[in-house]
Amino acid sequence: MMEQAVAAFVQEARDLLTGLEDQILELEGGSTPGQIDEVFRILHTVKGSGGMFGYTDLAKFTHCFENAFELVRSGTLAVGPDLIELSLEARDLMVEFLDIGSDGPDSAALLASDRSAKLMARIEEITGGSGNALAPGAAEGAGGPAAGPAPMTRFEITFRPHKDALRNGMRPELLVRELEDLGETDIGFDLSQTPALSALEPGDACLGWHVDVMSDCGRSAIDDVFIFADEAALTISEEVLEPAAETGGSDLADAGSPAAGAKPAAPSQSPAAGRASESIRVASSRMDAMMDSLGELVIAQARLDAVSDSIGDTNLASVVEEVQRLVTGLRDATLSIRLLPIETVFSKFRRVVRDLSKELGKDVQLVAEGGDTEVDKTVIDRIGDPLAHLVRNAIDHGLETGEQRSAAGKNPRGTVRMSARQEGSEVLISVEDNGRGLDRDAIRAKAIEKGLLDEATDLSESEYYNLIFQPGFSTAAQLSSVSGRGVGMDAVRSMIDALGGSVDVVSRPGLGSRITLRLPVTMAIIEGLRVRLGESIYVIPLSTVEECVEMSAADMESRSGRMVLQIRDQMVPYLALDEIFGQPHSGQETRRVVIVRINGNEIGLVVDDIIGQGQTVIKSLSPYHRDIPGLGGATILGDGRVALILDVATLVRLALKRGGPTLSKAA
Amino acid sequence: MTATDQSAGDAPRAAQDNHDNLLIFRLEGEAFAVSVKGVHEILDLQSPTVVPNAPACSPGLINVRGVVVPVFDIRHRLGMVSGTEHASSRMIVFENVIDGETGRLAFTADSVEEVHETDLSSLEPIPELGAIWPQACLNGAIRLKDELVVLLNTDALFAPDSVDDVAATRGA
Repeated sequence: MMEQAVAAFVQEARDLLTGLEDQILELEGGSTPGQIDEVFRILHTVKGSGGMFGYTDLAKFTHCFENAFELVRSGTLAVGPDLIELSLEARDLMVEFLDIGSDGPDSAALLASDRSAKLMARIEEITGGSGNALAPGAAEGAGGPAAGPAPMTRFEITFRPHKDALRNGMRPELLVRELEDLGETDIGFDLSQTPALSALEPGDACLGWHVDVMSDCGRSAIDDVFIFADEAALTISEEVLEPAAETGGSDLADAGSPAAGAKPAAPSQSPAAGRASESIRVASSRMDAMMDSLGELVIAQARLDAVSDSIGDTNLASVVEEVQRLVTGLRDATLSIRLLPIETVFSKFRRVVRDLSKELGKDVQLVAEGGDTEVDKTVIDRIGDPLAHLVRNAIDHGLETGEQRSAAGKNPRGTVRMSARQEGSEVLISVEDNGRGLDRDAIRAKAIEKGLLDEATDLSESEYYNLIFQPGFSTAAQLSSVSGRGVGMDAVRSMIDALGGSVDVVSRPGLGSRITLRLPVTMAIIEGLRVRLGESIYVIPLSTVEECVEMSAADMESRSGRMVLQIRDQMVPYLALDEIFGQPHSGQETRRVVIVRINGNEIGLVVDDIIGQGQTVIKSLSPYHRDIPGLGGATILGDGRVALILDVATLVRLALKRGGPTLSKAA
Repeated sequence: MTATDQSAGDAPRAAQDNHDNLLIFRLEGEAFAVSVKGVHEILDLQSPTVVPNAPACSPGLINVRGVVVPVFDIRHRLGMVSGTEHASSRMIVFENVIDGETGRLAFTADSVEEVHETDLSSLEPIPELGAIWPQACLNGAIRLKDELVVLLNTDALFAPDSVDDVAATRGA
């Protein structure tokens, strides 16, 4: 139980620290009291629950950091570039504390390390040394708007944790200890609700506390101690012992803390509590298990369909249809649970862009649009690296330096735009810069040098741009300094291929470039077209299929030399799948061609027959088969057989390479 | 994750008494063994879906209770000629780490004999005779009822390529 609570804390702390990074970066553009409060709230939450769940080293460090924002909140300290820089570093260190795990030699070492010592020293420098003590409470008093300390006050606190509090990981003794740190305390127990020994449940919290605290720390410090004791019965009354300005109260009002006076179940309306009721956190392993079961259900349903068809009973058929409808509904509902807003990925790049623009001395603005577009969790998990490549390239090679931009009559501040939108069953994610654009001539020169292109041939604009995804270009460091792009672009493409997506490049010289990733919304179950090739069944993702046409042996005969097919007024290159897959030719008279389209390129895939369409549960291939060109995965058919799913993007490239008259053989 | 934890947990125990349960099976009359820890289940023969352009070591896929499992050609890896099916032929579904991923694969044995508890310290180096198989795939031999049982090194045996090259050059 406790372990779960700790795991929940770590997860929540990670989320909070991610949010913290955003908040800090927001501060760069100017701060509002609301933002400062939010930063403070996050720090305070991490400190408080960190201490409660055995991350006291993290809590100690955070405390120091929190002091700085306490000063900002009170208006004593202004937000400047120094503080933002420092805050980002401190945040990173907090993440490291989380990574290390709960208190132990490692976390102690990190707390004692030069880095954290230096960070804390720099924070103290900014805060004017007022936050030097590590003990909580010492600095809280400095947060009051008045320069002087809060008046010496006697707080009478009664505190009774909720019965389940211990099971939820609460540590009342730590709260009491925190109170002790605030000032002189007189602690008493309330045993009135303690049952007889025979009725005692060891996990229940039965004790209550009466604590009198004599302190000049101010009411907010007391409230802060109990900030996480949401469900506890809590009353706090105060009696000012020394005449002084009423600072504690106004501080409270500023901070939006609960109003002064006795109030049971104090700050339960914190935003976090509000959110908790709207969503639940589920371990992704459970989601995966659910997806697996759903996959099997879909397969079993396909089998049921097949059996029902063979029996031909109308009663059975209507039930099967009903089941089909329900399964489809269940599938859609389950898949939608796996969808997450792409914002979670985009938000990481604010920091990347900021750091990179400092490092490269370029003034860059990041614009993110369509962050609420939802994508499958698998995509979210894997899209980060390719996007990082693209963003890095855009800043490093795409955008010019400030002087160059000014000279070209552009805004010296460059823009990188990340956007996402849904189009049918695909999500389009693009990274766009308003830099110098791709240098076609340099790409051409490089391609010839690399032997990817021969001197005589000329390509269309988009074909040139697509060359940057050739593996040969990935190591082309010199090129990147001339024309931009080229670092790891083949890695980007292979990652996108693995996700069943495609990449598209648009570039205008002097105006910038845009790289668009097209990805399926869901990775787990797709609509597939089943085709037959000899004895084997293959599945083609339906989203790529444009149309199916018949092809007679005569057509094949007359065009065999060129591998191009006339579809109405268009010449379409085609691939005979049996030849690609090294299968014997079936010799069938009339065959069919499935016309597929990716990145605006149409090709035909010649198969023996088209069997039908249906939901296809994608199973990934083992390392033995993962690298075979043209195969994207496997699935289980209604009859229990395994069928392979085609990787249309790779096949299209293969066909264009063969059929396209413009590229040389080497390409 | 669990697999690593498990193997980490097993290591000290194995060091203590060095006993292991081995599954003994036959190929071309020869007795081979793998550790039973990796054995997931044993199935009747299934005809696999052929994967086009697949490496010779893994020509196809089968469906094991809703999981797509690659079929591994252990004969090819050991440099044996591909054999015929027998009434006693079985598929052994084995869980192994391939390229850093835990996954299942299935391989065919002419027959599956028994599970035998063995003291691994009695493992002998393969005698000259055994050198017809790629050495990297073998852990050693144990003597069982006057017969030599070859204990296979499953990590090397089921590696996606490296040893394949060795086998190929030997064959050439």
